[in-house]
Amino acid sequence: MVTPLLSFDFGQFMPPLLRGAGVTVGLVLASGIAGTIIGVVFGIGRSAPLAPVRWLASIYTNFIRGIPILIILLFLYYEIPLLFPYATFSQTITAMIGLSVYAGAYMAEIFRGSIQAIPRGQLEAGEALGLNYLQKMRYVVLPQALKIAVPPGIGFLIALVKASSLVSVIAATDLTRAGRIITSQNHAPLATFLVVAALYFVISYPLSLLGRWYERRLA
Amino acid sequence: MSTPAMILAQDIHKRFGDLEVLKGIDAEVDEREVVCLIGPSGSGKSTLLRCMNALEKFQKGHITICGHDLTGSKTNVNEVRRDVGMVFQSFNVFPHMLVLDNLMLAPMKVLKVSKAEARERAMALLEKVGLVDKAKVYPTKLSGGQQQRVAIARALAMQPKVMLFDEPTSALDPETVGEVLEVMKALAEEGMTMMVVTHEMGFAREVADRVLFMDNGVVVEQGPPREIFDNPQHDRTRAFLSKIL
Repeated sequence: MVTPLLSFDFGQFMPPLLRGAGVTVGLVLASGIAGTIIGVVFGIGRSAPLAPVRWLASIYTNFIRGIPILIILLFLYYEIPLLFPYATFSQTITAMIGLSVYAGAYMAEIFRGSIQAIPRGQLEAGEALGLNYLQKMRYVVLPQALKIAVPPGIGFLIALVKASSLVSVIAATDLTRAGRIITSQNHAPLATFLVVAALYFVISYPLSLLGRWYERRLA
Repeated sequence: MSTPAMILAQDIHKRFGDLEVLKGIDAEVDEREVVCLIGPSGSGKSTLLRCMNALEKFQKGHITICGHDLTGSKTNVNEVRRDVGMVFQSFNVFPHMLVLDNLMLAPMKVLKVSKAEARERAMALLEKVGLVDKAKVYPTKLSGGQQQRVAIARALAMQPKVMLFDEPTSALDPETVGEVLEVMKALAEEGMTMMVVTHEMGFAREVADRVLFMDNGVVVEQGPPREIFDNPQHDRTRAFLSKIL
């Protein structure tokens, strides 16, 4: 019996797998950035002094966090063309939107927690100096909250790398889908997915290292 | 004809849910006057102080401070707070900013002072509190006493007309209490109007023009420190002082 890897033709199949890995990295990067921006906005929204703003932010985060990412992706894939008949999004763009919406809700929750972790005295000091709400958020609360949010934020990005594999169901050619296409050609799923798994690890492990480095630097 | 009081509080009532913590307080602080609030924990002295710059809301009564009517619905609290500096028990310096930036933030953002002028003011204040060499240091590297002096300088950078001190030495190591009290004493001697909640009876006796003894949400008695400390009129005041002096 040969080891599974021997049945994998690296020369032939690595290029499409690496292209898929590139799509995965691109998706995670784009939706990670978009999700962080959405998260900051909605995270602030959840601690806003105006109740309707809080409700709106709370509805978004709780709603999205209560739905499987797979359902979000399928919904966007089938419904966007119906809702916006003139908009033609590629599967990759649809995948990116879905992952961003998903990441935004989780990031919002992380930022909400980070903002709440800022001691009350910091807010009062800002208020006592005459800073208005926006100044207080911008100069006192957010710089401190962002620092607190980095470790859980990186943890979520690692989860996002793996969650991004679900975009393969809406035919976006990410790493997982590239692997599935190859198995239909080489009929060696064990070897192929071993390589796919290794590539996922190569993408996510540096994030773990980054997180560990950051926490050591803070300590 | 006396000048109008810098702080005038009339019949202040404040409750947290069912608990009434201020039961009709009258208090007055004149310009250049130093008033110390003393009394047991839970007597309401910090709450009263925090009403003065609207960190706490009160349900009934009137406060005017530096010419602002805190009860008026048109009053912009941020405008009031420009004139009223506050120092907290827990310092509350901004840990993510250099000491210098702690002092420059509010003057630049609230008063729209130029960066150069804010820096000049900040350095002069750091000189005053004896921390010029710490300008480019993060406050987390400083001792409690140093952090509290930064907090005092930060409040002074707004050039307030009144300073509120909320137990400024209660969280300090005993050996750094003195350096903070020295700064406060110098400030009082310069003529700053000050309202100080404190357990430092030595400071109250030496620096205060008037002492208010509070217990259970009311001002039990008030007067010059000599009278309060050496000849208290009320049993409750006597009982409190006998325990701490």
